Amino acid sequence: MYGRSASQLLKEQASCESGQLTVFNNEAFDRVIKECDEHHLQLESLFRKLMEQNLDVRTTTNGEHLGAFIHHHSLLRNKRCLMAYMQNRAEIVRSLRWQLGPVLPEEIKAKMSYSEEVYFVDHSNAIESYMSEMDVDLTADMVPPKSPSVQVKVLDDIGDVCLGDHSISLTKDSLHSLRRTDAEPFISQVSYHPFGAMRDDAAFRLTLLFVLFLGSNGRTFGLMPEKTIDG
Amino acid sequence: MPGYYDMDDILMEDEPISVVFQVGAHGCGLLDPGSETIDIEKGMKMDLPYWLAHQLHLRQAVSISVPASFSQKTRKEIQADAACVDLKGRCPYFYELGCKIAPLVGDKTIGSFLLYAFTDRYKEMLSKSHGAPAVTRFSSRLTKEESQLFEAARSSMAAFKKWRTGGSRLEKAAILGRKRKRTVPLGPSSP
Repeated sequence: MYGRSASQLLKEQASCESGQLTVFNNEAFDRVIKECDEHHLQLESLFRKLMEQNLDVRTTTNGEHLGAFIHHHSLLRNKRCLMAYMQNRAEIVRSLRWQLGPVLPEEIKAKMSYSEEVYFVDHSNAIESYMSEMDVDLTADMVPPKSPSVQVKVLDDIGDVCLGDHSISLTKDSLHSLRRTDAEPFISQVSYHPFGAMRDDAAFRLTLLFVLFLGSNGRTFGLMPEKTIDG
Repeated sequence: MPGYYDMDDILMEDEPISVVFQVGAHGCGLLDPGSETIDIEKGMKMDLPYWLAHQLHLRQAVSISVPASFSQKTRKEIQADAACVDLKGRCPYFYELGCKIAPLVGDKTIGSFLLYAFTDRYKEMLSKSHGAPAVTRFSSRLTKEESQLFEAARSSMAAFKKWRTGGSRLEKAAILGRKRKRTVPLGPSSP
């Protein structure tokens, strides 16, 4: 059936939760492209037949014409499916930059095609150059904080980290007063550890990052556990 | 008007419609996997996806019959108890397809039938969405559009509750969320 593989490709993307990325289906994508080539060949041969009979392609409505019409619309349909597939994925890839920052974890990278990875890096660079030009961090929390610093309880060993001009040791169960902007990345993108290189490998691999975020009144208002890091 | 890249619109157009060819078409036998020739004869019956059936209908090449999802049987079931009918199983894009198909088959009763089905089911949907969280049996009967409404009602209720109790502003990125639960048990564990 014409257009079947293309819509299956889309169904796969549509069936997963919105905002989540599926593995790029290279095989199905190529199959649809091949189908398009097939339609194109058929279309050409039907046009040739029409020409041989000396009929005007625009005005006749015989069997050949209708056949060509069906192939033409199947082509358009396949094109629309492929475009929508790419477009929807591109949207998710762009949103990743805002959610996870400039470096993606491996498990998400593995789901992307090569061109999507390049697209992500380009998009990320564009945002960064804009932010440095304007000298404003667009990824920070949109709601102004009540105070510039927050109380943070470290739930598991993170190790020495460099925050701005000073270094701090985030050991388990220690309490710190950090600048809000410094603490944010630990909470939103904890699966990626930006300062991982400072730790010795074996310990780092097993480290679980647990950062508990305390409000100024001591009440917990967020708990963000995270997974094993592969060093 | 749905956009060119709208996935739901594209998938809706994939719903099969049964058509009868009024003229023959050459060189496209692949449409029907069981056919032996590569030509389609006049008078042939076939199930075509909506996107193709619609285009062919505009050229008066096919005649379209009312799909089974809008048959008298379904209408009777809807009239009996709309909320109990499994519309998703019949056609996940019931309303969208109904709107598109009504002018093509020239059946004026489809419009009012859709409206009746929607308003009747909507009441049930709204009350269930605020109730118990385990509503899988009910939500599996909803069409795509209904389940979007259902989710919207649930998430806005959850957001309202979170706002009232003062939930956290900083959260882990959603895309990392589900994976973690499978790989690492919750709760602090020593390295």
